Amino acid sequence: MSIPLGHYLILSALLFSIGLCGALTRKNAIIVLIAIEVMFNAGILNLIAFWHYRQFEALTAQLFAIFAISIAAAESAVGLALVIAVYRHYRSVDVDEMKSLKG
Amino acid sequence: MNAAFWIISAITIIGALLAVSLRNLIHCVLSLILFSLGIAAHYFLLRADFIGAVQILIYIGAVAVLILFAIMLTRNVTGTEGPREVLGGKWWAGSFTAAILAVLLCWAVRGDKIAAALSPGDKATSSIAEIGRILVANWVVPFEAMAVLLTAALIGAVVIALEEVMRRR
Repeated sequence: MSIPLGHYLILSALLFSIGLCGALTRKNAIIVLIAIEVMFNAGILNLIAFWHYRQFEALTAQLFAIFAISIAAAESAVGLALVIAVYRHYRSVDVDEMKSLKG
Repeated sequence: MNAAFWIISAITIIGALLAVSLRNLIHCVLSLILFSLGIAAHYFLLRADFIGAVQILIYIGAVAVLILFAIMLTRNVTGTEGPREVLGGKWWAGSFTAAILAVLLCWAVRGDKIAAALSPGDKATSSIAEIGRILVANWVVPFEAMAVLLTAALIGAVVIALEEVMRRR
């Protein structure tokens, strides 16, 4: 008895919602970045699950996963550099205090 | 196979929950490492060996260490903040949005007939040689674009983080 594909989809839906909850509710910008990484991983898990269940001859889904992981790594490097720059400016990484552009 | 899925799923969900809810930032990063290990184990279970290895290398080897450095550079970790210090304003709206999204996605997956009809085949191969071959044969343009993106991100990160030093001169 193997696991149906729906289990993987629900697992990654739950992980994505956990990440979204963290990104929307936490105050610390670094935790927001961690939550975004959780959301990235939930999406990539979906790709790999679909690849496993459809058995495509081409390994396209795996290449998509590689590209997505690379983009996530680049995003986290730039995001953390931005957090450090913001910290130098405001002396805080609190996202509620970053409101210079608020109308 | 079945038991492995449930155990790894439980570890992954617990890691994700702890990563976004703990107060101590270092503990959050350690939970992110646990979560990444769970995701990599899922990849191994799905026979995507190379992606699992890449996940461990990049997330645990690079991203977690990067986040640890950012934490050390930005604030002292005390872990004695109250709940008002942790959650931002209007946190209830964010939790409500995430809960609605979870319910909607689970409802959509439950009602889906196409995904329920699929079953895993046994001819799953993910040979690294094949991945490398199609990466430089069919996907060479995205591959080069990724190289440019990573270089730009590297330079951009250094420029952004050095901004104040350059202004001071």
